[in-house]
This record gives sequence, structure tokens and C-alpha cells, in this order.
Amino acid sequence: MTGPAAGTGKTRSLIERLEKELRELWTQPEDPAAIPKSRVCTMNLEVVASSHELLERYTPVVDEVTATMPSRVILASIEPDAATDEITGSATAVCSIEGGRNICSERITLKATGNAAARSASAIEAFLVPEIPTALVWLGRVHVDDPVFQDLANDAHRIILDSMYTSLGSLLNVASWARTQVNAPEISDMAWTRLASWQEMTARFFDRPEARRFATKITKITLRQASEPGAHLGPEPALLLGWIATRLEWKTSRLGGKTRFKRPDGGTVIIELGAVPLPKGVAPQTLAGIAVEAEDDDGTKMTGSIERELGSGLASGQEDATADADVMVWKHATAGAPPLEQRVRLGANKAAKWLERTLHRPKHDPAFNESVSFAEQIVHDGLTV
Amino acid sequence: MPALYNLAVSRSLPGGFAVVGVARREKSNDQFRAEMKEGVSSFSRRKPIDPALWQDFARGVSYVAGTFENPKTYSDLRAHLDQLDAERGTSKNRLYYLAVPPAEFGVIMKNLKEAGLVAPPSPPGSGAPWTRVIIEKPFGEDLASAKVLNETVAQTFDESQVFRIDHYLGKETVQNLLVFRFANSLFEPLWNREHVDHVQITVAEEIGVEGRGKFYEQTGVTKDIVENHLMQLLCLTAMEPPISLAADAVRDEKVKVLRSLRPMERSMVQENVVRGQYARGYVKGEEVPAYREEPDVAKDSRTDTYVAMRIHIDNWRWGGVPFYVRAGKRLARRVTEIAIQFKKVPHGLFRAPDGGISPNVLTMRIQPDEGIALRFTTKEPGQATILRDVAMDFRYGAAFGSNTPEAYERLLLDAMRGEATLFTRRDEVEEQWAYIDNIFDAWRAEANAPPPLYPAGTWGPEQADDLLARDGRRWRRP
Repeated sequence: MTGPAAGTGKTRSLIERLEKELRELWTQPEDPAAIPKSRVCTMNLEVVASSHELLERYTPVVDEVTATMPSRVILASIEPDAATDEITGSATAVCSIEGGRNICSERITLKATGNAAARSASAIEAFLVPEIPTALVWLGRVHVDDPVFQDLANDAHRIILDSMYTSLGSLLNVASWARTQVNAPEISDMAWTRLASWQEMTARFFDRPEARRFATKITKITLRQASEPGAHLGPEPALLLGWIATRLEWKTSRLGGKTRFKRPDGGTVIIELGAVPLPKGVAPQTLAGIAVEAEDDDGTKMTGSIERELGSGLASGQEDATADADVMVWKHATAGAPPLEQRVRLGANKAAKWLERTLHRPKHDPAFNESVSFAEQIVHDGLTV
Repeated sequence: MPALYNLAVSRSLPGGFAVVGVARREKSNDQFRAEMKEGVSSFSRRKPIDPALWQDFARGVSYVAGTFENPKTYSDLRAHLDQLDAERGTSKNRLYYLAVPPAEFGVIMKNLKEAGLVAPPSPPGSGAPWTRVIIEKPFGEDLASAKVLNETVAQTFDESQVFRIDHYLGKETVQNLLVFRFANSLFEPLWNREHVDHVQITVAEEIGVEGRGKFYEQTGVTKDIVENHLMQLLCLTAMEPPISLAADAVRDEKVKVLRSLRPMERSMVQENVVRGQYARGYVKGEEVPAYREEPDVAKDSRTDTYVAMRIHIDNWRWGGVPFYVRAGKRLARRVTEIAIQFKKVPHGLFRAPDGGISPNVLTMRIQPDEGIALRFTTKEPGQATILRDVAMDFRYGAAFGSNTPEAYERLLLDAMRGEATLFTRRDEVEEQWAYIDNIFDAWRAEANAPPPLYPAGTWGPEQADDLLARDGRRWRRP
């Protein structure tokens, strides 16, 4: 090999060594009484982080997920600013005993530093198992012109982000990039998965027969997020607003520099955004509440609200509870009917749960795609709370 | 030599057996044995080398020095072989292996014949001494030169004595193609235009030209891979059931496939064939140079290191089913596979992306991880009906252990037995060239158009994706 582009062969040797180690994981144990390991693999799960420390923090999350969704896991940290130019790695089996069988996933961990970061995608791809779906979990901010992201994304069936911990901008950029690609991977967002209970409770405002007509007559939506006043609208409120607007076929328009939301019947919907204090242990921009007001043609009013008691999670006394396993207070009132109130506690806000649920959801979700497109429109208007 | 040693280890060689090396350079038998031992130590799958076994095997290894043009080389060889007949019981049976450029075939064969080293063909099992010759590809560089080469060989050897070796045909999975198709009642009924949407055959390598720039400049991937290996895989996939496993019964069916290929007229090449050449990129985490930066490669080289083709087989079984084939160097990963993609279900009962369900795909992996996989759709456990693609994966290594014979072991043993099924017949070679020649004619006509570049470590140029996209399909990412 000649020329300036010649590689040193170290990474190829590393890959060959890891492949050999992976093969050796599945040899029969010498002890006849030992439970042999069963290699199970339903998908490739690529997890890419911007630092090794972040990747180490996320590794137990992935191990928890693969206990129920056995996968070929490839964890990679990419640190282009590090002093050394190298790719290092290790391979191991992560096993759980089920019904007398030792069910195992393969986990490969790679660390690409310095100039070697540029070639990390080809090292990661070398470990993909053919014939099964590939999900790319990208931790941290995404730049769609990053060649490592592009290479991995083009070979993935699904890209999973968590816009609460990256940014709404990252999600919108990736969604916008995907629309320009032929055979683009589907995009999923763990923040969207977390919104499921909000969506369900919001829809419940209109469940009763006498309340259904109000769905097309909403006049005002109030959204609250946990942040400093003046902060940009966060991913959860933006996506929830996008979901309501697209389900009810609202359109946006601008007048005098202000965004207007129009119902299909031409009625205007007022959107009010606000901030509430951010308790310890709760992520910034967490959705804190929503209130819906509607008025029928005959002047009958309906109100509904969901308030999240932020930081109440630890008071639950439940095992594994987190600070944000909060109580949600759902209230509904229609003129002429008794007001309703219900308290619901959210489950523990654990990363493994959201990743697993996201992986279990259909990868193609038209409601999500439409909500993201809507969120893109309102974010361009720079909405703040 | 490693293959022969492996056959010795498995006690597959006949009792009367000897190997004689013939080349220009002067060297003693011991020097030759030492070189062979080094080769065996490095490349045999039976490592480490067994000293006692090697000692016994090496007693049958010897060397004759001489130039191919000199008749004395052949008289020396004859004397040496006669001596081996007496000492090692080789019974005047001769298997010549010509690992030399095709240009040398003529003079070697003429001299072998004139030295009385070629016995006339004899029926198998007659007990008469036999003579056979193994020749390696390239079997010519176009149809005209292939015909000349075949004619040269035919002046010395009867076709029944000629064994054209294509190591792909010795691979277990390739042999298993016939077993898989014709020993299972499940698949063959589906193996036709009624059920198959299309077929993809991939021969992908991660490596570049590895110091063989001079050779590659003369050949390119189309001549090096497509004309022989890939065409053979296509034939075995598409052929009708032979009436028996006799060599000519199988080869007759392969030739029928080749004759059914829709001729690639020059005007069709641009629409159906994409070539490419690798640029710099990353393979398995290593930065690798562009093809034009390789040693002995022209800076403005137009040699193809990638080719993708859409091939139609105009017969009753495959009418309307495209075969997409591709081969290339410096691709994302090393893989050779045949993928049969079945038609979509006729009615979508389930909610799924793009309104349909992923079609079933049956994949035969030739290398690495030889095996067979069937992809199908299943329901994820849970309350909702969520569909997920899963694969049933059979791996040779897992089922039968990883120490399967190398392709050359099977092929050399077959040649010794006179079993020609896995070797290419003259008419196959000429039909293959007849098909490929048109493509080269078209490329010559557009001599000024360089092949599109693709970054090393990817799956080829974008134009190859377009080739399938025009049909509403996409390449697999094996």
C-alpha cells in the first residue's frame, strides 16, 4: 500500500481480535454441569456517544434493555479532540438466566479518539449482523453533516434520539435530513415515547359522548414547562402541541410577526406558554402542564387540565422510584356535568424503560412525523415560555 | 500444496501418490520441500503441521528444473515420473496442474504430448492409466481468445481430460446449492417467476488489489469475478433440475441458463450495467488509498473495481424476474451471497410501513460464515400487533464445526477421481464470454468516460443504487 492514506492495520487487527473473541464466547463450556450460553440476537443496536464517560453511564441502560431484547450491541464513543489517534475496544457477552437457559447478547465497546474518530463508522459497521434490523441510538447533539452520523444512519433502519437530552433542534435537523434521503431510516424520539401518557390523558378530555364535539372547538391551549421564564419551548411541549394540532388538523399562519393557529372551521386557537420552577432532579424543559379550553357554537364551555406535581416522585415510596415519577392531576369540567378529577402517578423515569418502549413501538409512526413537522414550523418562530 | 497436505491428513489421498514441481529455477528436492513446508505451515487449516505426517508426505514431494520451452525439461520429467511409478506406485496416472499464464499453455501441452506424457482418454473405471490437466482462470480475456485457448488445449487433451478450476465451485455452500434446491421439497416449488420477485448475487471484498495492480489493470472486476465466479453462481441458482448428478448432466443445465440470458446488446449496457472504481475511504476502521494510488496502477486508470448488472433470463421459469449481480473490491464488508427475494403478500392485512410487509428473503451465504438464512415477518410479543423482521439462521460452522474442507481440497480430489461436475466445461466458458464481451464492446465505445468513483468502504457508486431504484428496489446491505 502506498500514498498518504495508508492505514496502520491496528484497527483491522482489533476488529479481527474482537471477532475471534466473540466466536470464542459461544464455545461449549468444559464443565458438563455448566449452563451453555445461548446466543440470541434480534437486532443490531448501535449506541454512539460523544464521550467515553457518557457511554459508560449508558452501558447499564443498554444491558437492561438487551435482557428482554437480545441484540448485537455496539457501543461507541467518538472523541475527535482527544490527544491520541486510535480505536480501542473490547467484546463481552451479557447474559441472563431464563428458564434454565443462559440467554446472552453480545456487547462490543469501541473507543475512537483523535483522528481515528473519522474512521469509526467503518469499524462499527464491521460488527453488524446481517439480515436483522439495525437501530442507531445517538446520545448527544446530532449534526447531520457529520460523516460518522451519515454513514451509520444510512445503514440503519431506525435512528433513536432523546430530544430532551440532545435538543429539539437536533431532532428537527435529523427529521429534515431524513426527508431528503432515498430509503431513509425512520426517526424515533424517546421524548415522544414519554408523551404517551400525556396524549392519552389529553384525548380523554373528549372521550365522553357529550364532550366529543369540543375537540373541534378548542379556543385556547396553555402549556407549562419547567424552566426559567423566557426559555425556548422544549421538545415535550412542542411535540405535544404538534400532536394536538395535527390530530385536529390545525394550520399555522402569521400576522404581524405573530403565529396564529387556525382550526379547520376557521376559528382561532390561542396558545399560551408559561414557565414553572424547576425542582431538583427534574430535567429542564420538562412538560409541567396543559390546559385546554373549548367553546361550542351555543356558548357551552369545556375545560380540561393536566398538572404534573413536579418532584413528587420520591414521595411515592415505591421501589426504584425517581424524583420525576410524578403525580399527574387530571381535571375535566363541562357545563352542566359534574367536574371530574383524577390523580395518576407516572412510572419511574428510567432510561432503559424509554429505550425499550421506543424499540418496541412501530418504527414508522405517521403521528410522530406529522408532529415533528408541525413543531418545526413553530420552532422557526422562536416561541419562548 | 496446503490442500494436498490437508487431504493427506484426512487420509483422502490414494496410496500411490507423489507431487512433482516443475519450474525454471534450479533447486534441490530438499529446497523445494522446505518451501512447500513453509507454505503449508502458513496456509493449511490443519495447524500446527504434524511432523511425522509431513515427513511421510514430503517423501512424495520432488522437483524437476527446466524451462517450459525446452524439450529436455519434459524428457527429464518423464524419466522422473517413470521412476516414481516404480518407487511410489503411481501407475502412470498423471494429473497436471498448470499454475501458469495462459500464454504458456500451448508450449507446455505440445511438449507434454511430444514427450509421451499424455495418455489417450479412457473410460472411468477401465483401469487404464489416465492423464488429466487442471487449468486455472483466466480462461481467455474475451470470447475470441477463449476459443483460441480452448482450441490449443483440445490439440493435446480430450475435453473429458480437461478440468477448468473455479475455486468457488468447491465451496461447501455452492455445492450445497444443489442439495438445498433438489433434496428439499419445500423450496423448489417456490423457485420461479410465480413467487420470486428478484434475485441478488453479491461478491464483495474488503481488500483492494493487494499488490496485484499490474494484473488488475489488465483484468478488472468484470473479468476477474463476474465472467467466471459470479456467472457460475447465477447458473447454479437458475438452472433446471438435472437428470442426474453426472458431470455433463449438471453442466448441460448450466449451459442452458447461459444460453437463456438476454443478450446484452451494446445499446442496453448503459441502462443495465454500472461500473465503478474505488476512491480513498475507510475499511474496517482503516484509511485505505484509492485504486489509482495503488502500486503499478495508472494515475488515470479506467479499470473497473466494481460492477453491478441487471440480467434477465428469458426462459419459462425466470421470465420477468431480474437477477441483480454485483462484485467489487474495497466494499463495506467481505461477503459472497445469493439472496432470493420473494414477492410481497398480495393483500396487506396488517398496518406496516409503506403499506406493506417486508418480503421474505432466502439468503445463501457462500462466505464468510457459510450458511443459509430465511427472513420472515413475525409479531412482537405484546398487546399491539407490531410486526418485526426476524431471521432463521443456519450456520455451517455451528452445525458441523468450523473445520470444513477448503474448496481446493474437494476440487483436487475430484480431479484425481475424474469427477468433473464442479469444473467448467468448454462451452460454459465460451457462453460466459459471449455474454460479457458485449459489455466490454460498449465500454470500449465510451473509452473517454471514466468509471464513477465510490469511497472505499461503501457499497459502490450511487449509480448502482439508481439501477435498482429505477425498478423500485434496493440493494441489500449484507
